[in-house]
Amino acid sequence: MRIEIATLLGQNGKLDEKKMDRLAMVLSNLKNSGKQILLVSSGAIALGTAKIGFKPDLKNFTDMQAAAAAGQAELIRVYQNHFGTYNQIVAQVLLTNDIINIPGRMEHAKNTFDTLLSMNIIPVINENDVVSTSDIELDDNYPLALNVATIVEADMILIKYDDNGKFLIVHRGEQSSLLVNNENELLHELENSYNKQVLKEYKNKSFPSSMKEIIQ
Amino acid sequence: MLRRKRLINAKRIVIKVGTSTLSYPNGRLNFRLIEQLAQVLSTLSQQGRDLLLVSSGAIGVGSGRLGLYEKPAGLSTKQALAAIGQAELIKIYQKFFDDCEQIVAQVLLTKDVITDPQKYQNTKNTLEKLLSLNIIPIINENDTVSTFEIEFGDNDSLSAMVSILADADLLIMLTDTDGLYSADPKINPDAEIISTVDNITPSLEKLATGTGTSFGTGGMITKIAAAKICSAKNIDTVIINGDDPAIIFSVLEGKNIGTHFVSGSEHVKNH
Repeated sequence: MRIEIATLLGQNGKLDEKKMDRLAMVLSNLKNSGKQILLVSSGAIALGTAKIGFKPDLKNFTDMQAAAAAGQAELIRVYQNHFGTYNQIVAQVLLTNDIINIPGRMEHAKNTFDTLLSMNIIPVINENDVVSTSDIELDDNYPLALNVATIVEADMILIKYDDNGKFLIVHRGEQSSLLVNNENELLHELENSYNKQVLKEYKNKSFPSSMKEIIQ
Repeated sequence: MLRRKRLINAKRIVIKVGTSTLSYPNGRLNFRLIEQLAQVLSTLSQQGRDLLLVSSGAIGVGSGRLGLYEKPAGLSTKQALAAIGQAELIKIYQKFFDDCEQIVAQVLLTKDVITDPQKYQNTKNTLEKLLSLNIIPIINENDTVSTFEIEFGDNDSLSAMVSILADADLLIMLTDTDGLYSADPKINPDAEIISTVDNITPSLEKLATGTGTSFGTGGMITKIAAAKICSAKNIDTVIINGDDPAIIFSVLEGKNIGTHFVSGSEHVKNH
């Protein structure tokens, strides 16, 4: 499950508590239905900027990293509060994109994810912006979601498409992904996919490599 | 005494706090202590000092969140508990620092920050920026992905690395004893706190017997090793009892508390 915090911001640029609550409810519910959920969420810089009241220069790496460090603390707190309503424990995992290349580290992350999932916990994942040297929380956090999906051998990536309850379901090996209009359709589709053993069929295929590919 | 007096002028200070200080012997968090720590650090920040907090405790907090109160076994369990606990810990810190109107940030480091020059510079710049905004960075190892316990080993050495990274004047380590003793106080009633250490000699290192509490990993050995690293970089280190965070004020008034490892530096750095 991948979201960009922009879909959770109200018109005033502040976090929309209702939308956050709804997301936490839907994900906790999916988890309760027996799915294993990992949430990839951006938003640290947006929240950090609001919190520290300074406008980071978007071209200045250090500004962005400082905002991210303040904002990530806030972001994980907000998620904890909302998931807490549904008695759902979350964990924070910060990754750098080079995780795929560092021997041992990917395996450690996989073991951690597996253990968290076995404990019924939803990991909330973001880029470790403070130490990362590239790709600092750009508009698109799909590459991070893709890395996570690869590490945990996920069956699908869900993308929160907009703030009206639309979700994009991305399967392995599919060029065109499925857009569902609301939570009911989402649940229905997840059940169907599961029953039809579509997942098995796609097991050895890979996910689309970019958002561009998905939107096409 | 002059050497103690120079601590009054310490501008940039790294405070290191361990699991054994943050929690009760039963593994549960000591909220009151965390509240006091937040108040002390926020006050020091108000004085115009730059503060960085190196805090462990994520695994202990994660265990508590799940109602487990024994030392966890197995690397992946520890890493999972750290992921749960770090989220919880930073939430609690934010709560108490918010009460003091002090903004904090979370910085999770892996060892490649030290070895990769670009990551080193990025992290250094970020810390510098946070301090310039009067934000207190709360730093821990990124346990979830690091090849755990192999990278920094313990948060004592992490705190030394952070002190160097931030070009600090002083590292204050909070622990569960009053400082470095001349002998084991449990055995020898004449044991006294060594107030000042000018040179970390092999015989001094011998004084430090490794201790292990239920959740912590550090003992005096790793603290002396950290002091040694700092000393080589002209950073003073003070080891004090963390039971009462307010004694940090006394240390910064130049009072004779805990053990002061004196570096060669005569001057306060220019920040």
